[in-house]
Amino acid sequence: MAGSEEVNLIESKTVVPLNTWVLISNFKLAYNLLRRPDGTFNRHLAEFLDRKVPANANPVNGVFSFDVIIDRQTNLLSRVYRPANAGPPPSITDLQNPVDGEIVPVIVFFHGGSFAHSSANSAIYDTLCRRLVGLCGAVVVSVNYRRAPENRYPCAYDDGWAVLNWVNSSSWLKSKKDSKVHIFLAGDSSGGNIVHNVALRAVESGINVLGNILLNPMFGGTERTESEKRLDGKYFVTVRDRDWYWRAFLPEGEDREHPACSPFGTRSKSLEGLSFPKSLVVVAGLDLIQDWQLKYAEGLKKAGQDVKLLYLEQATIGFYLLPNNNHFHTVMDEIAAFVNAECQ
Amino acid sequence: MKREHNHRESSTGEGGSSSMTTVIKEEAAGVDELLVVLGYKVRSSDMADVAHKLEQLEMVLGDGISNLSHETVHYNPSDLSGWVESMLSDLDPTRNQEKPDSEYDLRAIPGSAVYPREEHVTRRNKRTRIESELSSTRSVVVLDSQETGVRLVHALLACAEAVQQNNLKLADALVKHVGLLASSQAGAMRKVATYFAEGLARRIYRIYPRDDVALSSFSDILQIHFYESCPYLKFAHFTANQAILEAFAMAEKVHVIDLGLNHGLQWPALIQALALRPNGPPDFRLTGIGSSLTDIQEVGWKLGQLASTIGVNFEFKSIALTHLSDLKPEMLDIRPGSESVAVNSVFELHRLLAHPGSIDKFLSTIKSIRPNIMTVVEQEANHNGANFLDRFTESLHYYSSLFDSLEGPPSQDRVMSELFLGRQILNLVACEGEDRVERHETLNHWRNRFGSGGFNPVNIGSNAYKQASMLLALYAGADGYNVEENEGCLLLGWQTRPLIATSAWRINRVE
Repeated sequence: MAGSEEVNLIESKTVVPLNTWVLISNFKLAYNLLRRPDGTFNRHLAEFLDRKVPANANPVNGVFSFDVIIDRQTNLLSRVYRPANAGPPPSITDLQNPVDGEIVPVIVFFHGGSFAHSSANSAIYDTLCRRLVGLCGAVVVSVNYRRAPENRYPCAYDDGWAVLNWVNSSSWLKSKKDSKVHIFLAGDSSGGNIVHNVALRAVESGINVLGNILLNPMFGGTERTESEKRLDGKYFVTVRDRDWYWRAFLPEGEDREHPACSPFGTRSKSLEGLSFPKSLVVVAGLDLIQDWQLKYAEGLKKAGQDVKLLYLEQATIGFYLLPNNNHFHTVMDEIAAFVNAECQ
Repeated sequence: MKREHNHRESSTGEGGSSSMTTVIKEEAAGVDELLVVLGYKVRSSDMADVAHKLEQLEMVLGDGISNLSHETVHYNPSDLSGWVESMLSDLDPTRNQEKPDSEYDLRAIPGSAVYPREEHVTRRNKRTRIESELSSTRSVVVLDSQETGVRLVHALLACAEAVQQNNLKLADALVKHVGLLASSQAGAMRKVATYFAEGLARRIYRIYPRDDVALSSFSDILQIHFYESCPYLKFAHFTANQAILEAFAMAEKVHVIDLGLNHGLQWPALIQALALRPNGPPDFRLTGIGSSLTDIQEVGWKLGQLASTIGVNFEFKSIALTHLSDLKPEMLDIRPGSESVAVNSVFELHRLLAHPGSIDKFLSTIKSIRPNIMTVVEQEANHNGANFLDRFTESLHYYSSLFDSLEGPPSQDRVMSELFLGRQILNLVACEGEDRVERHETLNHWRNRFGSGGFNPVNIGSNAYKQASMLLALYAGADGYNVEENEGCLLLGWQTRPLIATSAWRINRVE
């Protein structure tokens, strides 16, 4: 076993820059420490290890942020990021001034972490959200959703839904053109999964979502796909850890045929005929769950939905966390184009 | 219950507090720029080495994560290299690592993670900081956007601005307007606005709050209620005690110097923890500093009673001082070589900032007694800027968060706590010069001071973090409280806004 471990480590090192390798390996190791075989999670150690940053109403690189309590009962918080105007930093009383523009996209963002890790104020996600603001000229609302295993399905979706409603009814977020909020949903890993499921609810309730952006979205199923077998343990992720996270998120006793895990599996509802938002699905070629992600994109297509698949052959998980590789820039450009297509 | 805005305003980022004479402008210590933004400090030249250690760690851990004892304590995850190294050492104590050179046994016990290696240590004085740390960070949490709340904040800020511009006629009109608006508010916002308005009024009419010995006894009593009604003081005591316990792990004789004894609420828990030490309790000596000799002596006597019932040898010394800066080493009866010394300061140090030069002189005094550890708890806020309006808006936000966290069913403890905090607000807003003692500064400012004063950080670990988190869970409304680890220090906050910070320090041996 030691031999193939070594091979795995060497292989993953050849495909990412060294600092990326260090970052993701650090996460991998830390996360291994947190998952207990009995399905419980070392939450205290997780919070201790997670690097967090405060919101900052003083603009940094043209972006300022502040935290909002969306729901006091569940302590649901979101971090709002806005482009800064030229001139002095916004006063406290100006934070929720109406957005300034004919069309201002509002991106509701769901951070990754396989439903168990990270928060809206995790440094890696604060950084990513800040980028999205500049990239898309958007307001970004990052949801601090409740996590597994303490809070299983459907808590994360409920929280996403609550924030979507809040965004949709916030008058200060309305674009001047049509006095409506122009909403996109975006997320990576488990966040991508949440995007899909919140979009489903939006469709059923008549809230207009203009587009879904799914970065390495977390999907699965009971069968072991070819990519899972081929890439197991090779690029930071194992089938075993994926299983753990699904067991932690799905209701007790459920298996991975559950529609939350497998949206085009045996138990899911058809999307045919629904006015589902257009989707941008980004798949990393070295992600072991890519077969599930490809199946997702395929499923959308077959249901007559608008989907663009971006397949990045040599990308691993987390490639979008550091701007030191081509995949990063490719994806950022695609996201900008996807969002700004509305702004013509 | 409807919640109002929390708010805080700052200058146009023209720099931090003026009481910071020199910000240590350091050369980039060669840390990887991309990782530092994500919270990890790794020198580019160390990257390959860190990668190698990660590989080694993965080899050793394999699938059997249980190899790593679940009692493993983690320290300062931002120092990736140190973190990985300490896990490797944990798994293989015979591992050939750089041994920190030290004449003190204590360092070998918690390991190099608690006391960062010397080479990193000297470099800490040339600490790299990302831009957002250098300019002030305004951390804002919006609880509810009520029209009336916004108008109230507007009025308060406008009034403060008028005061700053010495436009007293306008300020007078505005402060009355604030009073009217405040009376139509409910809950935390009303109380906070009322205190800030009172502070402004006192400033306008030059009726400054007095601070004398009689009032300081009253203040002590208020502090007990503050201790009871919310977790801030308990967190402060708990985390400081954890650091002290670790520093005292193998010592036979220990001496704690408490820079502000008050009712000695911190010490029963420490005495009990020492009594339960696996290697038995040390001889415990406590030096209590305060303003009233009789009060201090009474507290010392009570603690002595407790110590004797649980079998800990206890010695007590009282020191009464009007100002902490009057402290001289001879007063402390240090017994060099035979005892481990901890200096403890909970919300005391910032007072020294009211007298120019006092803090540096004081830190020199502390250094001269060579403590093994100095524990410091301070408000995590920038309330000592030169600009009145900045201080006003920053503290408005800070105390709004604090009062918000106190909201709940009415109780005497809560009312007294609000009074306790209200007096801080009045001092902050209405006083100047040596009278203004509530000169809170942020953790980064204190890091600078201690760094240039010849101290190095002692990291507080995941065990303390965990227990502090569990302590908070005992409080109703615990969901709103958060403990955060920040490069070896612990912060307690309310709704993502850090409010107090615990740090620990030791003398830089290189000097």
